[in-house]
Amino acid sequence: MGWGGTLRWVIAFAILVVLNYTVRPLLASPSSHVEIDFLIVALLMAAVRVRPGAAALIGFVMGLAADATVPPSFGSSALAMTLVGFAASWLKAVFFADNLFLNAFFLFLGKWVFDLVSHLAERRLRGVEWIMETAVWSPLSAALTAVAGVLLLILLRPLLETSTA
Amino acid sequence: MARAGQSGTRGDGIVLAVCCALSLFALVLPGNLREAAAASMRRSLVAPLVGLQKRAELSRSAFLAHDSAMVIQDSISLKAMSAETLKAENDRLRKLLGLGHALKWGFVPAEALHGGGRAAREDFTLTLSQGSNAGIRPFSPVVAPEGLVGMIQTVDPTMSLAIIWPHPDFRVSAMTADGAAFGIVQAHLGDDEQRFLLELRGVPFRTSLEKGVLVVSSGLGGTYPRGIPIGIVLGDLQTAEGWARTYLVRPMVLPPDIASVMVLRPERVAAGVQSVWSLPASVDSAARSVASAGDSLARRAALAEVEARRAARAADSAAAPAPAATDSARRAVERTPAQDSAAAAARAAAARRRAAARRDSLAAAARRDSAAAAPPPPPTDSIRPPR
Repeated sequence: MGWGGTLRWVIAFAILVVLNYTVRPLLASPSSHVEIDFLIVALLMAAVRVRPGAAALIGFVMGLAADATVPPSFGSSALAMTLVGFAASWLKAVFFADNLFLNAFFLFLGKWVFDLVSHLAERRLRGVEWIMETAVWSPLSAALTAVAGVLLLILLRPLLETSTA
Repeated sequence: MARAGQSGTRGDGIVLAVCCALSLFALVLPGNLREAAAASMRRSLVAPLVGLQKRAELSRSAFLAHDSAMVIQDSISLKAMSAETLKAENDRLRKLLGLGHALKWGFVPAEALHGGGRAAREDFTLTLSQGSNAGIRPFSPVVAPEGLVGMIQTVDPTMSLAIIWPHPDFRVSAMTADGAAFGIVQAHLGDDEQRFLLELRGVPFRTSLEKGVLVVSSGLGGTYPRGIPIGIVLGDLQTAEGWARTYLVRPMVLPPDIASVMVLRPERVAAGVQSVWSLPASVDSAARSVASAGDSLARRAALAEVEARRAARAADSAAAPAPAATDSARRAVERTPAQDSAAAAARAAAARRRAAARRDSLAAAARRDSAAAAPPPPPTDSIRPPR
């Protein structure tokens, strides 16, 4: 991938990060358990194109940025995104980038694992509440994130496709 | 290649381990340090993103608040509209109370229901909430605080029907308020908005009325007592009649404003209502006369105060000539002999007046004493010579 391609990926990544801080608050109400996580989409999109170490570093930085607004769970998102980024980059050979269903599953799995790890690291939820969160709300959020991610990948495809000249 | 791949994998593992270690370290930090680290990130690296998030949340709040704000605005508008209606009704009821107070007796207050527009003629009738049980009789005048409304046409025990002035059959003998011209007032059968005007017909040709002249009922005919305001002359109306003038009159009472009315009983009609609708004018003139009386009293009080001050100053100067040592001595140097003689004459006249007053008061006291000592005088009728 040349400099042009890298720049386009960086732009797409920045768009997703900005969407997370502009569109996500508009769509989600404070009491809602299900919401789209644009940061996970951005992280997975970047992770499949870099080495696992770089993906872990990107996840760590993004997680710290996400944790900055939630001081009580500072570090949980960083840990979860580090693991998800590294795993996504390590498993990238398994997935085929052109298959939308596989991409959707990839996004679903990434978001669910992220929620599981972050909830475990936070140690905030216990018992039935934790089960409800991990078995019901997290899969729903993951599904919603997967759908939104696939739609965004389709929308951003003209930007992300490399020229074959 | 394999070595490079192995070193790369090892490097990735090291980065992963370091990131995980840092994350776990962040998780186990004490609360204050955790907050400090998060705050430093919020103020530096994440500040633009946090700003975007705040704006987005504000936008969402504004969007959500818009609906509730609209609901509040609607309810306030509704309340404001009903408040205006209530205010108007309150004013009207106050006026009606004033009319009842002025009439004092011989009237029946009633609520008026409009015809409902079922037919053209029914637009000009009112259904009143009182009937013959309350003393209402056919042909009783219906009045409002502003003036004449119409006449009772049909009476039932508990309700009655009245025709109002736009009715084609409505007629009332009228005159100008100063009694200069007489005529018959009836509905002006014009088109559209002119339908709700009146005509004063049969005014002698030699009598010309100015715009704004008040037209009242004349009392001729016996149905309407004299002095109920009917309307105000708007202008001359050109008609084919050459011997009399017809004037267009703006009615005092507009049909949409009729809600509560008074029905005059026959005995009240016979007694007359001339002083009722002239009350506002008399109240105004009374207020003006009270104000002017107050002014004249104040003027008199001011004059009396000036006189008293002048007298006190004169008494002081007469009783204590010594204080004049400075100013009056200086003034005395400048005085002419003529001024001195005039002042002496004035002082002598004042002394004479005081002496005369003292004599009068002594004589009056002596008279009071002698009157108290003397027997009472005989009755006046007894000393009068017999006729």
